[in-house]
Amino acid sequence: MASNRTLAMAVVVAMSALGVAACSGGDDGGSNSGGNVTMQLWENATTGPGKAFWEKTVADYHTAHPNVTIKLQAIQNEDLDGKLQTALNSGSAPDIFLQRGGGKMAAMVEAGQLKDITDAITDATKQAVGDAALKNGQVDGKAYEIPASVLPGGIWYSKDLFTKAGITTPPATFDEFTAAVSKLKAKGTPIALGAKDAWPAAHWYYFFALRACSKATLDATAKSKTFDDPCWTKAGNDLKAFADTKPFNDGFLTTSAQQGAGSSAGLLANHKAGMELMGAWDPGVIASLTKDTKPLPDLGFFPFPAVPGGQGDPAAIMGGADGYSCSKQAPKECADFLNYLVSKDVQEAFYRGFNSLPVNKDAQAVITEDYLKAVLDAYNKAPYVSQWLDTLYGQNVGNALNVSVVNLLAGKGDVAGIIKAVNDAAKKG
Amino acid sequence: MSGDFGGKSSAVTEETTGVLVRNGGGVPTPPPARSRRRGIGWAQRLEIAALSGPAILMFLGFVIFPILMAGYYGFYKWKGYGVPTNFVGLDNYKTILQDSAFRAALWHNGVIVVSSLVIQGPIALGLALLLNQKVRGQSAIRVLIFVPYVISEVIVGTAWSLLLQTSGAVNGVLDAMGLGSLKQDWLSNPKLAIWTLMFILTWKYVGFAVILFLAGMQNIPHELAEAAAVDGASYWQTQRRITLPLLAPTIRIWAFLSIIGALQLFDLVYIIWGQYVASTAGTSTMATYMVTEGRNAGNYGYGNAVAVVLFVISLFIALLYQRFVLRRDTEGALTEGT
Repeated sequence: MASNRTLAMAVVVAMSALGVAACSGGDDGGSNSGGNVTMQLWENATTGPGKAFWEKTVADYHTAHPNVTIKLQAIQNEDLDGKLQTALNSGSAPDIFLQRGGGKMAAMVEAGQLKDITDAITDATKQAVGDAALKNGQVDGKAYEIPASVLPGGIWYSKDLFTKAGITTPPATFDEFTAAVSKLKAKGTPIALGAKDAWPAAHWYYFFALRACSKATLDATAKSKTFDDPCWTKAGNDLKAFADTKPFNDGFLTTSAQQGAGSSAGLLANHKAGMELMGAWDPGVIASLTKDTKPLPDLGFFPFPAVPGGQGDPAAIMGGADGYSCSKQAPKECADFLNYLVSKDVQEAFYRGFNSLPVNKDAQAVITEDYLKAVLDAYNKAPYVSQWLDTLYGQNVGNALNVSVVNLLAGKGDVAGIIKAVNDAAKKG
Repeated sequence: MSGDFGGKSSAVTEETTGVLVRNGGGVPTPPPARSRRRGIGWAQRLEIAALSGPAILMFLGFVIFPILMAGYYGFYKWKGYGVPTNFVGLDNYKTILQDSAFRAALWHNGVIVVSSLVIQGPIALGLALLLNQKVRGQSAIRVLIFVPYVISEVIVGTAWSLLLQTSGAVNGVLDAMGLGSLKQDWLSNPKLAIWTLMFILTWKYVGFAVILFLAGMQNIPHELAEAAAVDGASYWQTQRRITLPLLAPTIRIWAFLSIIGALQLFDLVYIIWGQYVASTAGTSTMATYMVTEGRNAGNYGYGNAVAVVLFVISLFIALLYQRFVLRRDTEGALTEGT
């Protein structure tokens, strides 16, 4: 048959197409210790000084340890978790990677994907970082992460707008706070809230809960995952009463947190809003959204005000710590590098690269910005530091809080709805 | 189909083969066809295998396999790390069906399916009839109507979400025109949001329906309209008695595509209302529920179970529609002549 030749060609084409497809993918793991070692590092700074910090740190480490080469891979923040999950599950995980901590880290530990670095943490690191921060990286008393930066939350505000509204000192009690809000509202600069992303709305509930619930209750709930203590309802009632005064920007339900000038950070950056409740990553976000993309000159910080009638310490603070983990098959040099990462000089460079609080106490002396000093001051004065509640109670509970707090603020749900949602969430996870 | 590879043996055989291949080759054929297929040599079999093989592999690898895996994961409580170990049987499915948020999402999907048909159908039909005439600037108008369909969903979603924000351009224009009393929370008012969504969906997808209908109208022989005109039929009589009935197959196919699209609606809602506000605003769909409760909550087992429910509901409706509505259009091609 004449068609045989065409046919054979078709087969060849088809086979080679499949072959090409099959050949892509697959990477070296590099897990031998001792001699020459190559490690992969995944981080989330893709541009600017943050990325430059990583390039320099990795190069410096190679100079000090010529047998260790670290390959850097910068991954867009929002893509990082998904890619990491796939890589961990398929056994091609990077040796060192950004760790979000909390429930995600617990799931990785449970799946046996992280290296236990308890014994690899040096005394120098323990000294410089301190127990409180190191605890963030532990699961059942074993260390799986070394934190690199502390990110406490509080109120970020524009000093100029506060002055214009006639507010002279940052409010410390809730009465002062609500008075300040009504002054700001009269000037058309309310509180910015990016409820489209939901978690900024949930943060308001977290902070009311931090004031309403004692530390013992917060910790006990992390174990029991039941929210039956009356303080959880009090926090909801406090939030509801506050939201009823309409303190937030118009259309806050469709305002995002960080994207563009119309976002909550953008409103603050462009003096359209007086303040917002956010973590210590906010100065960087705000700086990227000002007209000249320079840091906001009049940015200030004060801790969440004291709320009367609660069991929580009025000076307690909430926040997280970003850190780094080693994957299961990573060589022992991985932990060495993490110790290096929290050493004084590197941490000072880290602060300059990311404009956020370094975890190393000796490196904190170089901080110059007023607002970061205010954060540090509040952080050091706090009798205890609670993790973000979604980190403490897991993504599942955090997700339920996100949804139900937005419902509450939209006037669609009530306080009981929040409690019911978090208790229901347990069924889904 | 005018294959030159056939010998003089039988054109019928080639015709049969062609149909089989088009419908997904490789599948064992029922007995009656087998006797007629005796004429196929190894060469043709190999050709069929070589030409349809890659497509079948892709289909199995990227459609069937993920569906099976979703079914498997759906039986577990699983956080997405490592191998799932916590087998919970049908618990996930029970939770889904009892969850008021899921039922709300299902209801929104139902509203979107029905109102897409009811709103877009007549509008598209009217526009198609209009554009089927000789109008000045006809092709320009056609392009304008079709443009929204071509723009990516992400861009459409971002643009409308900015325009319709409480302090956005739409309310600004209303204010400037002295119609400030009409200003609304277009996106976040639960009574209004789903109709805002319907407006955007109509704006975006009506062009697709118009193009389909126009193509269908091109296929209606002109002689019929002429004959009707000779018999004294008015314009509307011609459209009512000739165009519409002959356009029915096209309309049925469009309705099918619209229903499936509405059931699986995700991107526009997700972009305009973000990850969470959709359920508050009353625009959540089964797909956004899946992402919120599966990916955002880190409950991947539960999310897979939602995916299975979404799949089963879509499949059920699609099969039902094919069986009872599309039956006469696809007679023989999909139903093996039964």
